[in-house]
Amino acid sequence: MSKKRFTTIIVVVVLLSLIWVILTPSLFPEIQASTKAAAVHKGFQAPDFTLQTPEGQSISLSDYEGQPVLVFLWASWCSICKRTMPGLQSVYEEFAPEGFEILAINTSFQDSLTNAESYFESQGYTYTMLLDQDGSLSRDYQLHAVPLSVLVGPEGEVVDVIIGSGMSEAYLRAKLNEIFGERD
Amino acid sequence: MFPMINIGPVSIQAAGFILIASLFIGLWTTSYFSKNLGTNGDLIENSILLGLIAGLISARVGFVLQNPSALAGNPMAMFSLTPSMLNPSFGIFVSLLAALIFAQKKHLPLWPSLDTLTPFFLFLLAGIHLSNYTTGNGYGLPTELPWGIQLWNETRHPVNLYALFLAAIYLLAMLYHTKAFKTTGFLRSGTLFSLTLSTAGLIALITRAFVSEKSLIGKFDIWQLFGFALLILGIALIYKKSYQVRKHIPVFISLGSNQDPDKNMPEAVRKLEDFSKIRGISHTYKSKDVQKQSDPSFFYNKVIEIDTGLSYNDLRSRLKNIEVDLGREPGNKVDVPIDLDILTHDIDVFITNGNQIPDPNLIKYKYVAIPLKELAPDFRHPASGILIEDIIDQLKDDHKIQMLKEVENGFEA
Repeated sequence: MSKKRFTTIIVVVVLLSLIWVILTPSLFPEIQASTKAAAVHKGFQAPDFTLQTPEGQSISLSDYEGQPVLVFLWASWCSICKRTMPGLQSVYEEFAPEGFEILAINTSFQDSLTNAESYFESQGYTYTMLLDQDGSLSRDYQLHAVPLSVLVGPEGEVVDVIIGSGMSEAYLRAKLNEIFGERD
Repeated sequence: MFPMINIGPVSIQAAGFILIASLFIGLWTTSYFSKNLGTNGDLIENSILLGLIAGLISARVGFVLQNPSALAGNPMAMFSLTPSMLNPSFGIFVSLLAALIFAQKKHLPLWPSLDTLTPFFLFLLAGIHLSNYTTGNGYGLPTELPWGIQLWNETRHPVNLYALFLAAIYLLAMLYHTKAFKTTGFLRSGTLFSLTLSTAGLIALITRAFVSEKSLIGKFDIWQLFGFALLILGIALIYKKSYQVRKHIPVFISLGSNQDPDKNMPEAVRKLEDFSKIRGISHTYKSKDVQKQSDPSFFYNKVIEIDTGLSYNDLRSRLKNIEVDLGREPGNKVDVPIDLDILTHDIDVFITNGNQIPDPNLIKYKYVAIPLKELAPDFRHPASGILIEDIIDQLKDDHKIQMLKEVENGFEA
């Protein structure tokens, strides 16, 4: 390629790029997720739900306004869930006095309720167990695999979504320190 | 969005799977490219692997340093194999640094190695976009265009697919230009890498406009500005490499003769001086003809270093003229009054019109490597970075070679 042709192409490309970058803020302005409808993705509002405890008490996500909540979808046949849950218990004990709540939602439509309840009781977990009997919450939360952890901030915004083993004790503690640290 | 891949009863996270797959494809293509370019494939692969491991470890260390209280009560969580608790930017920084230090220590030549790595970078970039597509990260602005995708309760620009599409077009152009990773397709090392850098920047600055949640500084998206900076950097590098006039290019040339060498070789050197400055001439070495075609089958060889302003193609045609002037008949490999071969042209690695630079004979034959070592004992192969002494140790050439003392009117054993 001759030097002249190269220079011509470069000048055109650089100028067009510059115009594109300068026009972007007015042509494609940013839309913050928090201003948008609910979705299970970082930044959006967490979809609200109302489910029942095994004892029949109705509990909604919106009951916990102003408090961080971990929505944790699990099943009694899921070994990763059962490896994760004891860690959640110790973080829960640490942060419950500050207002942290865990809603451990058993995906009951694909689990044996007896197995789930006896497991939950035998482990002595003190956080709240809820039942997704018809799978509607799992659909709303786009459940592809258990465990699914959705950490919801005090304003009801999704802080983090983790599929699988990632919501470990240490990770959850770090995230809560961030949330409570910001509030102090 | 498809976060999980289900194979029978096993579900795996699509994002992780795609990232690992793209790493493997990138590594494989780079090692194939490396073989064709003659660069040091093993060392390049090792520096990638070292970078990956250092990156993973430091991403975890970075997270823990930022959140020391996370490990309260359970310090062993430091070593847990979960994909969370990572600080990606710190990981990427350390990973690049580790790979760079390793490459420096091993004397990997910068530009040829970066050229070799272009397919790796390209596949990694594609892998990142595809895995973001599966998780719905970096989602686009709402759109009414027919190709919008349903994501997070809205029909949106499929930003990651735009980037993937542009990267695929560039990959196709690159496959065509490099003849499916046979050569870089450029005469200067680093041009291919610089072009890829520019293109990656261009793709980022085009597609980031459609992203919904931007990282703004002032009015502008930081990634768009970063893309623009990459574009300019790449262009500046290409300009410097391809269009800046160079007056002093160091070139090593191998001289060979089996017809009146004591007359033809000095004559060739004299003619070289017409358009270049001679910086060094080795002794003459006598060896058996490696092609075993001539009789009596002795060849006389030298290596000389010149300083020239000529491009490779111009220099090559001047050398051909000298060969013809001294009576060389093209195609006649039996009687060779003079043979002039360019061994290296600056630090560049390329193939043009079927000629490979650095000359492959450099790592094949004693009659090239030994005089070269005499002339430049610190010489490193421009493609692989291997020291001339180690090149000689690795030669499979078992022909005897003998250094001659030059006396008046000829040579003496």
